[in-house]
Amino acid sequence: MNASIRTASLQKAGRVDAAVVEDVSSNAVTPFNRRRLLPIGGWEAALLLLLVAVIAGFGMKVPGFLDSTSGLLALTENFLPFGLVALGLSLVIFTGGIDLSVGATASLAAVVAAQIWSAWGVNIWLASAIGVLIGGVLGAVNALVIIRLRVEPLIATLATSFIYGSMAVAIAGDSPPSGFPDAFNNLGAGAMAIGASFQLPYQILLFAGLALLFWLLVARSAFGRKLVTVGYSAEAARYSGIRVNRILVTAYVLSGAMASVAGLVLAAYYSAVRPDMGDVLLLTTITMVVLGGVSIFGGEGHLLGVILAVLLLGFLRQGMLIAGFSDMVTTMLTGAILIVSIAVKNLFDSRGLRLGTRIRALFKRSISPGHAS
Amino acid sequence: MSAVVASSIKQGGPVRLPKVAMGRELILAVATLLVVGVVGALNHDFLGVQNLRFILLNSVVLSLVALGQTLVIAMRGIDLSVAPLLGLAAMVCGLLAQSHGLPLGYAVLLCVAIGLVLGTLNGLLVATLKIPPIVVTLGTYSLYSGLTFLYSDGTQVDSVPPTYAAFGNGHLFDWLPLPTPVLVLLVVLALCWFLLRHTRFGRSILAVGNNDAAAYHAGLPVKWVRVRVYAISGVLACFAGLMFLCYTGSATVTAGTGDHIELQSIAVALVGGTAIAGGRGNLVGTVLGSLFLSVVLTALVFLHVPPIWYSAGEGVMILAAVQSGFGRRSAAQ
Repeated sequence: MNASIRTASLQKAGRVDAAVVEDVSSNAVTPFNRRRLLPIGGWEAALLLLLVAVIAGFGMKVPGFLDSTSGLLALTENFLPFGLVALGLSLVIFTGGIDLSVGATASLAAVVAAQIWSAWGVNIWLASAIGVLIGGVLGAVNALVIIRLRVEPLIATLATSFIYGSMAVAIAGDSPPSGFPDAFNNLGAGAMAIGASFQLPYQILLFAGLALLFWLLVARSAFGRKLVTVGYSAEAARYSGIRVNRILVTAYVLSGAMASVAGLVLAAYYSAVRPDMGDVLLLTTITMVVLGGVSIFGGEGHLLGVILAVLLLGFLRQGMLIAGFSDMVTTMLTGAILIVSIAVKNLFDSRGLRLGTRIRALFKRSISPGHAS
Repeated sequence: MSAVVASSIKQGGPVRLPKVAMGRELILAVATLLVVGVVGALNHDFLGVQNLRFILLNSVVLSLVALGQTLVIAMRGIDLSVAPLLGLAAMVCGLLAQSHGLPLGYAVLLCVAIGLVLGTLNGLLVATLKIPPIVVTLGTYSLYSGLTFLYSDGTQVDSVPPTYAAFGNGHLFDWLPLPTPVLVLLVVLALCWFLLRHTRFGRSILAVGNNDAAAYHAGLPVKWVRVRVYAISGVLACFAGLMFLCYTGSATVTAGTGDHIELQSIAVALVGGTAIAGGRGNLVGTVLGSLFLSVVLTALVFLHVPPIWYSAGEGVMILAAVQSGFGRRSAAQ
């Protein structure tokens, strides 16, 4: 895609002055002014490098981490549900909002799907589809509260997370359903055999498919362009003819739906549901999105970064657990990584200390006398 | 109350009657009394001295955390790390008291020290590295809960020395029917209120919350104000942890984080009339909000509502409170 087409489409969408286009372009999902061979920026490259280093490092030092490709891939079953939530949550954070209700949404959707299956004997896949639909509806409720009642996203989703959580406990009852059919459990813990010794977990297929879909949606569609514009400046978006509310509703609905998909995958992984099983998702998922380079203020970031951050954090955590570190030490490290990575990013960021620009300026200054003479 | 400061900063005019804020405190007080009255009429046990005492005591820990949170939110920040700080302080003091008989006075000092150091760390990260507060405190949330885990090493606090229990449940003065924690809370509230309402630092907090760029250009030490506010929030969270330890006589690894006290404290501050967008903090409202929450939760027990609906009640309460005024985005946004 090139710049002029995008500018033209923005201008076609409504009145828009040059300054707005300029601002949007410098914070767009994909770099606007430069053509690249790979659709990745410096941040994504750094994440990719770290990911390779983590896998190689653990592979060499920790026996059992990289014994076989299948073994390595099987590890992803422990963290890909987080990644599924991260995909949806990214959309919301792109708009400058936040969705604290993802954990409760995941629990509620999974619990409802399981109850429909167990109480009425509905086919498990149909029940799952209903669960995802319910996740979307819960997301729509979030958007409705935010837009119609004009409540800050943080507060609105905080309140709805309490409400959804209660509903999940109420619907789950004293003995929540468990023991789903094997075909469904495969979604969480099963693997597809390719050849004699290669096992590809179904979770990876699901995540890869949805990640590709979301990447196309954010980086290669008009919707993604609008999403980021809304996040960068809702005001500017409104003046350029974007239906801001419609974009917001879509983002929250997708976030809710993805949370419920994650809830269902967790249900399949454990072959059981619990009304509090989604609670662990929230903080780690926000960490993944932010580590992926998405600005918490919205309007900035790449989905590819989020996908890489999911893999990086996930493999790091699993590697440390296999190496014998306790769960809590890995959690501490996750927190430290979050802070350090954002600090480093800020050092180079145009909104931060602009270290990159300063260094470049330093070079220019030292070179320019030579050019002048 | 503090809306006076905010409005005078905003408009530069003469200090007006704090209409809106007083309204919020009045609404909360009336709502609390209404719930007490109605439930008391239905079930006379609700009005018993023991129950009212329980309601008061129950709100103290959350109030202490929420007072710090109020200051942070008034400065347009947010502090998620209060929950693990509460747990850390409770665990450290509890284990030392259990094994070495740490005197209560030293425990208080220890709490203040822990809160000061770790709160200042939050503040420094927010102020100097320009990382959004929600990200910083999300990171330190993991860090501090990890510290609790490492320090406890799988153990937990089952009992505390009698001085602790007396501090958490007893009466300081025989002639005053208020339990010690409630008195402590009132003192802390008075201190915070004076700080926010009557000092230059308090005005700086509101100015930074209102518009940090303007505050900077007006010559305020924005970074330093930020660091100090997060330090105060840390100290109050740790002190609340000690209070939790003394009140319940126990501490586990998940104290604070398990109850999501960070979310509750934000909720209570917002219910009390503090603006999430910063520039307005209502400390009295925060304490009343916490008391209201305690009354409602206890009332639900008396009305035989299943416990599973309690947190839904909290959610509805937040939305209702935000609807009635503050926390709304301005129409322009």
